[in-house]
Amino acid sequence: MDAKSFKLLLLGGAVRLYFSRTPLASLIGDRVEFATPLNSYKRMQEGVFLLEHDIDPYSGDLVHESPLVLKGLSWIFLNYASYLPLLYILLDLLTAGLLWIMSHWFVKHKLQEQRLERKHYANDTEELQYHNEDNYDIPELVLMAYLFNPLTIMSCIGLTSTVFSNIFLALFFFALVKGYLLPCLILLAFESVRSFYPIVLISPLLLVFARRSYWRGFCIGLLFAAACIAIMAANYLVMNSWNFLDGTLGFIFYFRDLQPNIGLFWYFFTEMFEHFRAMFLITFQLNATVLYLVPLSIKLRKEPLLLATVLVALMSVFRAYPSLGDVGFYLALMPMWKRCWKYMAHGFVVFAFFLISLSMMGALWHLWIYAGSANANFYFGATLAFCTGQIFLITDLLFAQVKRQFCLYNGQKIMIDGEEARIILE
Amino acid sequence: MGLLSDPSLPTQNKFVVSLAKHVRKLCYAIYLLGVVWFCCLALPEFNHSTYLSENALSPGLVYPEIRIDAHRLAVQLLEELQRERQDHRSTTPHAWIAAKFRELGLETHIHNYTLRYPFGGGKEFHGKNVYGILRAPRIGSTEGVVFSAPYRAPSSVHVDLAPSVPLLMAFADFARRKNYWAKDLIFLVTEQEQLGMQAWLEAYHEGDRSDDGLSANKYLWAGNLPARAGSLQAALNIEVQDLSDIEYVDVKIEGLNGKLPNLDMFNLVQRIMAKEGLTSGYKQAHKQQLLKKRRRQSSSNYELNLQRMVTMLLSQSSGVPTGNHGLFHRYRIDALTITASKRQQSHHKSNSNSAAALLKAIEGIARSLNNLLERFHQSFFFYVIINNDRYISIGDYMPALMAMVASIFIKAYLTWSSLASAGKPTPYGSVMIYLTASLMIGYLGNVLPLQPYFLELPLSAAPLTTCTVASLTIIGIVMPFVVILPPGGLELLHIALLLIYGCSLIVIGLLNFALGFFVGLVTVPLIIALNPIEQQKTNPLSFITFLLNPLIVIYGIVLVMTFYQFPELSIQNILLRAASASMDASAFALIDSVIYGNWLYFAVCTAFLPLWIVTWSLALSKRRLIFRHIDEDMEDLDEIDGLLEEDAADQNKLKTN
Repeated sequence: MDAKSFKLLLLGGAVRLYFSRTPLASLIGDRVEFATPLNSYKRMQEGVFLLEHDIDPYSGDLVHESPLVLKGLSWIFLNYASYLPLLYILLDLLTAGLLWIMSHWFVKHKLQEQRLERKHYANDTEELQYHNEDNYDIPELVLMAYLFNPLTIMSCIGLTSTVFSNIFLALFFFALVKGYLLPCLILLAFESVRSFYPIVLISPLLLVFARRSYWRGFCIGLLFAAACIAIMAANYLVMNSWNFLDGTLGFIFYFRDLQPNIGLFWYFFTEMFEHFRAMFLITFQLNATVLYLVPLSIKLRKEPLLLATVLVALMSVFRAYPSLGDVGFYLALMPMWKRCWKYMAHGFVVFAFFLISLSMMGALWHLWIYAGSANANFYFGATLAFCTGQIFLITDLLFAQVKRQFCLYNGQKIMIDGEEARIILE
Repeated sequence: MGLLSDPSLPTQNKFVVSLAKHVRKLCYAIYLLGVVWFCCLALPEFNHSTYLSENALSPGLVYPEIRIDAHRLAVQLLEELQRERQDHRSTTPHAWIAAKFRELGLETHIHNYTLRYPFGGGKEFHGKNVYGILRAPRIGSTEGVVFSAPYRAPSSVHVDLAPSVPLLMAFADFARRKNYWAKDLIFLVTEQEQLGMQAWLEAYHEGDRSDDGLSANKYLWAGNLPARAGSLQAALNIEVQDLSDIEYVDVKIEGLNGKLPNLDMFNLVQRIMAKEGLTSGYKQAHKQQLLKKRRRQSSSNYELNLQRMVTMLLSQSSGVPTGNHGLFHRYRIDALTITASKRQQSHHKSNSNSAAALLKAIEGIARSLNNLLERFHQSFFFYVIINNDRYISIGDYMPALMAMVASIFIKAYLTWSSLASAGKPTPYGSVMIYLTASLMIGYLGNVLPLQPYFLELPLSAAPLTTCTVASLTIIGIVMPFVVILPPGGLELLHIALLLIYGCSLIVIGLLNFALGFFVGLVTVPLIIALNPIEQQKTNPLSFITFLLNPLIVIYGIVLVMTFYQFPELSIQNILLRAASASMDASAFALIDSVIYGNWLYFAVCTAFLPLWIVTWSLALSKRRLIFRHIDEDMEDLDEIDGLLEEDAADQNKLKTN
């Protein structure tokens, strides 16, 4: 990493440190947009305390963090609680650094790939290709997008455990780009056992490591299953009971807590008749996991990292308990696709969507919960608009990638009989 | 899904490009659409007649049981109170009120509170409220209804409301004899206008937390209440000017930050007042004046409706409650004030027994509230009352504001797309710093006047607040002359302004529609007209922007009000008086924000001032001169050298600043 990136890291750390000392920190820690039942700091505290007093944290309905994380943090929680914000900030900075290195290697790989394929490219596609200066430009953009995005800053100072999810995901991306199979598998298994949805990332992993051989894919699948079982066993050793499975994965899958959040689940599940619950539960969970997995994996088989980015993004839109910290993470991955940006038509609209819906969320939450004059529909409207904005962004990115691929080989200006050709989607 | 999956390669839509040429016309059209829509709302086709949607209330289902002896008791108590008042010229006769409450058989308590006035070195004021609880025979103190009356000492500058307390007592005496109450009734006498009410409510809901330093309010120590009566469902604040001769009853509903009680509550009061034969209504005082005028000049029904709408919104927009009821809204308690006004001309006495009817009405309201099964939730919380029986709901009036906001966002989108196609430089960093600096100025306006360092100065609140805000405004005025953005910066700042302005208008409009609407009405045309790309040296825009500075706007509003109130004064006198009044106004806004939680001052400082600074910079649109000259022609190199030097000097200034 160059000096400028270190300066940025320091600045990002300073911003986080400053805000973690203001009253904003505890305010964010209580906001439903950031702190969900899965990642809230208070619940983590509760879990550590219960674990320390030999009470099963999962027998109640408060704690949904995996036992290994609770055990790993209990020492620092109990002895150095006042330094916790510092730990979270350091982890967040580490995530940012990892993303920098990851995107640096990613651009390097892209450049190598390009060198091999250059002869197939059309003439006027210079601006669609990765350049040498991207080696540092793109990582810097990724770094800035992670460090100075208000969403990640808030989620860090609110001490949500999204910080841990983010660092595991960043490590996973890093291992994926570098081609370390074993760390990749273990990280993914850990994160999947912890928060269920990352299991879909097995698809980009297979695309990278199996290299189109079914035998290898099968082996990796077996290894992944073994890693999952090993991590569950490790959790079991901590707890000496299997209760935690229902407390973490079961809690996510069955969607037991209807507390409002920025996602789509809570409103539907408060409204629906109880006897349809099983069906809608399966529908919603399928939507969050496998529904887009197969088509996207087929379409993006040559771009596993883009697939991973899109899957992470879809995950944070459709998961049961999404928080704004997840959104911040995948937004930081967007600059890696800088060369597609030319074809992203809705960037401004999406930005305005985010701005409006986020500012409305605060106001409508106040009107609903404190003033009592608005109701749940108002707030859900704002979150729905936010989700729509995210879907716009993801679709836009995918389409931009398709158009870039097309133009890279066919040229940007396609003339038919002296007129500019219109491209039709069929 | 053509929008998302448009396969054409260029992201520039031809339609958008051609639309971008007419951006201002389009935006003005949408803005006008909003204004026209708002004006249409006054037409009877666009508003609805009121109805009660909470069936549990069933107003007027029972015959009033309160008899004329209650009225006699009130008159007798008033005579006793008047005697007490001769000894207590500027204080409240707490002992007498508490003794009377106890005599009536209420569980009576006295609540002490302390105001630590922070300005001018700090002073302490003490106050007491008296309240009596009538425990419900049917339920175990889980729910309560408040009946309150403000007490004003004879030395008060406000209208005398002495008969309110005797009337409240007379009703309490009646209520105690009945066994059908399903909610505890609290009879509360507050002093020092809204301060007493705020302290009582805070003590009721927050409890005594001042000793552990966690008090909800730093300046008002609410103390603790010896007894409570469960969660409060509703409250009725009673103000009576006279017991024997009431001309009309004014129903006041506007609460803190423009919040309103549930429309059912208003309808309930209206129905029961009508049943008892009392002339009552929202803004009845205003209406009575109009009625007198109307004999001479005839204005159409439509005009009157529009006028009433606008007056309601105007009184909501400042966020200051029109009575003690307004503070209940903060705690989700629906409340309103009924003010019984004395007849002005005493010569035609038609019904001299109005207070008995008022007691009957209060009984009716109390018994309806007694029927409530849950909090008010059925009817509207957001509405504009046009007439006593006609209203506009949020779904009907919101489009007016939304159209204004939409025009801003459309302008932002079109400006952005024309900017993106032009391929100009986009210095995000410096624009961000500029925006942060403006926001910091606004933030300082919030924080600075309350710093202990400033509070210890021997200055009273008005000059202190005004000085702080004025000096911050001056920094804002100077800023565009000192800090000059790199090329492309102004265009980017323009878009940032449009987005932030749109968002803050939405948020303010959601929280207090009236404020958002008026701000939008005045400023949206200016924001639409703003165009930093084609700015001449002398333009009327920067002058208009200057006039719309928050401080100048406050002064202007106060000036107009002073002119209407004291038309006999000379111009010079009015100007001076308005200046001191607007200084007081800004200080009151600050005090309101720290004691009552009115966020008008916060909104002005945090949102309007920074937005104004950015607008001001854009209206001036100072560029680095050198670029403009190179663009124009290269003929006068000497001049450019001179300008270069100036530029360097500017930058030096920047560094030293």
